[in-house]
Amino acid sequence: MAYRGRHINPQRFERGQIKILLILLPLALFMALPIVFIINHAFKPMEELFAFPPSFFVRNPTADNFTKLLKFSRSAGIPLTRYLFNSLLVTLLTVALSLLLTTCASFAFSKIKFRGRNLMLQINQIAIMFVATAVLIPRYMVIANIGMIDSVFAHVLPLVAMPVALFLVKQFVDQVPDSLIEAAHLDGANDFQVYWRIVLPIIKPAIATAMVLVFQQVWTNMETSNYFINDESRKTLTFYMNTLVNASNGVAGQGVSAAATLIMFIPNLILFIICQRSVMNTMATSGIK
Amino acid sequence: MRNRPAKVNKIRVKRGKLEKREAMMGVLFCVPWIIGAAVFLVYPIFTSLYYSLAGVTVDSVNGIMATPLNQIQWNNLQEKYVQVISHDQNFLPALLDYLVSTLVSVPVIVVFSMIIAMMLNQKIRGKGFFRMIFFLPVIIVSGPLLSLLSESSANTLSVVDTQTITGAIGSFLPPALATPVTSLFTNMVTILWYSGVPILIFISALQKIDTSQYEAAYVDGASAWEMFWKITLPALKPMILLNCVYTIVFISSNDQNSIIGLIKQAMISGTDEKGYDYAAAMAWIYAIVEVLLVGIFALIFMTRRDKYEKQGKKIDRQMRRERRKVLHIQRRQARHAKRYHRPTVR
Repeated sequence: MAYRGRHINPQRFERGQIKILLILLPLALFMALPIVFIINHAFKPMEELFAFPPSFFVRNPTADNFTKLLKFSRSAGIPLTRYLFNSLLVTLLTVALSLLLTTCASFAFSKIKFRGRNLMLQINQIAIMFVATAVLIPRYMVIANIGMIDSVFAHVLPLVAMPVALFLVKQFVDQVPDSLIEAAHLDGANDFQVYWRIVLPIIKPAIATAMVLVFQQVWTNMETSNYFINDESRKTLTFYMNTLVNASNGVAGQGVSAAATLIMFIPNLILFIICQRSVMNTMATSGIK
Repeated sequence: MRNRPAKVNKIRVKRGKLEKREAMMGVLFCVPWIIGAAVFLVYPIFTSLYYSLAGVTVDSVNGIMATPLNQIQWNNLQEKYVQVISHDQNFLPALLDYLVSTLVSVPVIVVFSMIIAMMLNQKIRGKGFFRMIFFLPVIIVSGPLLSLLSESSANTLSVVDTQTITGAIGSFLPPALATPVTSLFTNMVTILWYSGVPILIFISALQKIDTSQYEAAYVDGASAWEMFWKITLPALKPMILLNCVYTIVFISSNDQNSIIGLIKQAMISGTDEKGYDYAAAMAWIYAIVEVLLVGIFALIFMTRRDKYEKQGKKIDRQMRRERRKVLHIQRRQARHAKRYHRPTVR
């Protein structure tokens, strides 16, 4: 396949496309519905939130829910920005670290031969299958023993080695042609250069995909704040939003929760929009047939 | 003569310097990941296995503690597992439910995403936009969003009247078969949302296929249908298994999963019979069932090993056998030489 870069859209409209478009369009609409719903839901006034059957689109949009949310957060001792800062720091650290470790490891697992490689992959396979909640208590003990309770690393380190990300990225590294790597070796590149200059650029789409997934996990994670952090000022925004929703339980809580969901969702959407371009390029440009 | 056996041992192929150095690099690259995984994944997982077998004791000073080795009742290791399986009214039905629904929905998700991927690989207007839309569910499915959506029942097909479909299916299928199928229809939307990453993986595999293959087939008079079976599907086959595994894992570790809820409940309930050890036992049973599920799909979709690879392995085995034989003979000779004190001729 010739290199076509980012121009994946055909230039002209052909009649043969119509039947495919006919199938794709309704499905695409369908896929986009939840996002429309979330945005609409946040602006609904009280009586529309509880309407039955639930309406999809908002009729009289108000920013009422957001003001309520702000009011709740003002009454708390710690400012919202503090939680936001925590969340951003934790998410940034975790995503960067885990992507670095994951790509390194998957490069080694798929392209370098060494003893114990298969064993480790199998262990990873088992770890994928295991429920994360079930290891909470041993994890807590590890963190307590290292003395990391209440530190930033209690948020970061448990999530850094993510088996699903390794599983996904390794599949993409497997597809990098060996001849490309051999050629680089012949030209005098060492393993690190091969990793940095050849493997990483090629698996960019996989990295973008993994980034979206890891970001998801970290951004919405409440367990670390719940169990590993006692200091209120070191907890994350997700945790805070959740407490707000719980504190304002009942009828008023619905609106607050809808607003909080939208606020928590927006970073996801932004990252997705940034990443989607490189995700969509997939592996078309591997350089070698 | 004494050093003869030692010499024989040297027949074993030693790894060269270069290979060793390469292996070192490999280890070096994964060390950070291994450390992270060992401390926060592998160690906790195996500790939970120990807890589930040995039980935990809760005391007010130390909090939760594993039963020390000398107090373990060795003949009663499986106690918690028996409890989970035979006494818990919720767990086994939930597990069965999960098993059936996963078995039904995974093929649907994979086939659906394959079809969509093939369509998105055609030349159509707005391909980039469509790809984005179909990848979009990835950011919805994981996380608290899904619970909000399912609470407000946005994930059921309100556009299509599912009642009539389920009614129609229920009328001609036995109830045991009809329930999973009807639940498939009611949860159609959720199923579609799971297909974000599988679509992506399929598209990347489709783009790997050389277009000249299709041209050659076209020149030889193959129809599109034949091309699909002979070119597209074989190229996608390894990805099918990958997607099955991914989908199973995704479904199983989702927050929406009822079994995870049960495990969480048992863990924080803190009663005598249900405690952390109980939850750990549950998690292990669940993990084993999951592995079995993956195994089923792996058996179906496993790509057959390459013929050459097979032959190579065979030759390898033969060589090893011969080497062993040589070793055996040499050793026997050495033994005889020792026994009969034959003077060695240098």
